Amino acid sequence: MSLNTLDPQRWLADHGDYLFRVARRQLHSDALAEDAVQETLLAALSAQARYAGDASPRTWLCAILKHKIVDAIRRQVREVEIPRDADGEEAVDSLFKQDGHWAEPMRPWGNPHTEAELSQLRRMLDECADRLKPAMAQVFSLREVAGMETEEICKELGITPTNCWVLLHRARLFMRQCLELNGFSKAGAA
Amino acid sequence: MKWRITCKETTALASRAMDERLPFGERVAMRMHLAICTNCARFTRQLHEMRRLFKVETEANDAVPGLTPEARQRIANELQNKLDT
Repeated sequence: MSLNTLDPQRWLADHGDYLFRVARRQLHSDALAEDAVQETLLAALSAQARYAGDASPRTWLCAILKHKIVDAIRRQVREVEIPRDADGEEAVDSLFKQDGHWAEPMRPWGNPHTEAELSQLRRMLDECADRLKPAMAQVFSLREVAGMETEEICKELGITPTNCWVLLHRARLFMRQCLELNGFSKAGAA
Repeated sequence: MKWRITCKETTALASRAMDERLPFGERVAMRMHLAICTNCARFTRQLHEMRRLFKVETEANDAVPGLTPEARQRIANELQNKLDT
């Protein structure tokens, strides 16, 4: 693809909404998401000489957006707490007995089908994710919402793989617990 | 890696297994535990279910409105400024 065919205003027209939704999903803010889209397109413009044209423009823009989202999240959470914070540890410990077995049996989850059930579940996922501690929320969202590989997340956030696993483990335990406490357990599937 | 691991250890491995391939010893220890522990097996299924739900939800996000005309105009102006310099 020659440079002449790279038209930033076309990027905005063709991919602006898509990039905005991806960013909004992770930043939970219209304003931050708009900023991320703008920064992405400006960065793309500066870097267009490096765009080899072997990825689709959308893929290329998404790769840049990912970095802008990480930057935005980083600005929100100054430092990733190394997972040694007592709260997280205690919360995990409280789910298990001294001998490492579950304190409470796992209850089966419901199987939401109707539009109302699904929208309630959607709200619950968001609310529970919002209640995660910032360091956990950050890693969890990059992994489960953005779908980034842990290796990439570690590199971006400057944490070790072990810290990453610990944070994800705690976040998942918390999320599962939160969904269950909010009534997402019914007789039925899962 | 010891063969007999607790539920707590199993949940950590089950979580990690969603992010990378576990080393052989860990993988075997986890599978052996999951084969006999209904709680941990259910927990592991629920983690995968949760991932699926997030994926569905992220895709459903396409129903969310895109950029407002104002934001779109503002970004277009910024791009034009940069193109002009």
